[in-house]
Amino acid sequence: MKQYIRKADVILLIVLVAIELAATAVLGLQRGSGDSPAKVVIKSGGSVYATYPLGEDRTVVVPAPKQISVDGPSPDPNAEASAQYDYYNVVIISEGAVCVSEATCKNKVCMRHSSISHPGESIVCLPNRLVVSIEAEEGGGYDSITS
Amino acid sequence: MTASPRSSSSLGNSFIARVGLMAALALIFSYVEAIIPYSASLPGIKLGIANVVTVIALYKFGVKDAIAVSIIRIVIAGLLFNGLFGMIYSLAGAALSLAGMIALKRTGLFSVTGVSMAAGVLHNMGQLIIASALIEDLRIFFYFPMLMFSGIVAGILVGIASTIIIKSIK
Repeated sequence: MKQYIRKADVILLIVLVAIELAATAVLGLQRGSGDSPAKVVIKSGGSVYATYPLGEDRTVVVPAPKQISVDGPSPDPNAEASAQYDYYNVVIISEGAVCVSEATCKNKVCMRHSSISHPGESIVCLPNRLVVSIEAEEGGGYDSITS
Repeated sequence: MTASPRSSSSLGNSFIARVGLMAALALIFSYVEAIIPYSASLPGIKLGIANVVTVIALYKFGVKDAIAVSIIRIVIAGLLFNGLFGMIYSLAGAALSLAGMIALKRTGLFSVTGVSMAAGVLHNMGQLIIASALIEDLRIFFYFPMLMFSGIVAGILVGIASTIIIKSIK
């Protein structure tokens, strides 16, 4: 316990930072160009719930796939019959930007997330298992790479 | 753990008292952590001050104490402040970071700071893996570099704090 930092610590730090920078570079390359036509992909519980063009303004109510929260009221067994959902998110697409305006979860992280407008960006709501992401319209390969 | 059987031959009385004391201390740190206002746009980025207790338990009393203290702390903190999801993420992070800490400590090459730094990173990785499994979308790994950076910084700070405390409670 004589020293706060040893040689091995510094090596470990350098290795970790190198992994981090490499991951940043790889993830940065995967982001497409902001100019290409993009679509908004809304995934709920791992499967695609809906896909909309980013250019069209709309408001979407996304029900949570499985009502599994322990914090809220217990779900209604006849939920599918009623139009009301116990757990849902409201996604707003407006002027080329996407945000979550309403969420039934406790922490509201998705609501406080700033709105997204570029391919590769996403908003996630873990309690409701929602992923809203923007993807470039053309699939397969890089259309362009920006730094 | 509160309802420990009277015929607990494997769990000595001093072990139970010591772990109970450390778990209570760690729980207070968890509470302090829960009331600190962190940035809402960066979920998952925390200091993890309760891990000071885990690191000290590992270095002063051994593997068994460290594991017991973290499990008790996370389960009770989950019930009290963090919710069920927070508990699941914390347990996954703690499992990975404890395994890493025990392994790195055994090598004898690293200081408390280095071990804690690795633990900080592994803790965040464990949470990220659980999050990606729950949400069934690897897109969440876009968050990887940010979490890794915060894990390094938090781990170093926790490690330095732990080193100071370990020195003074000799």
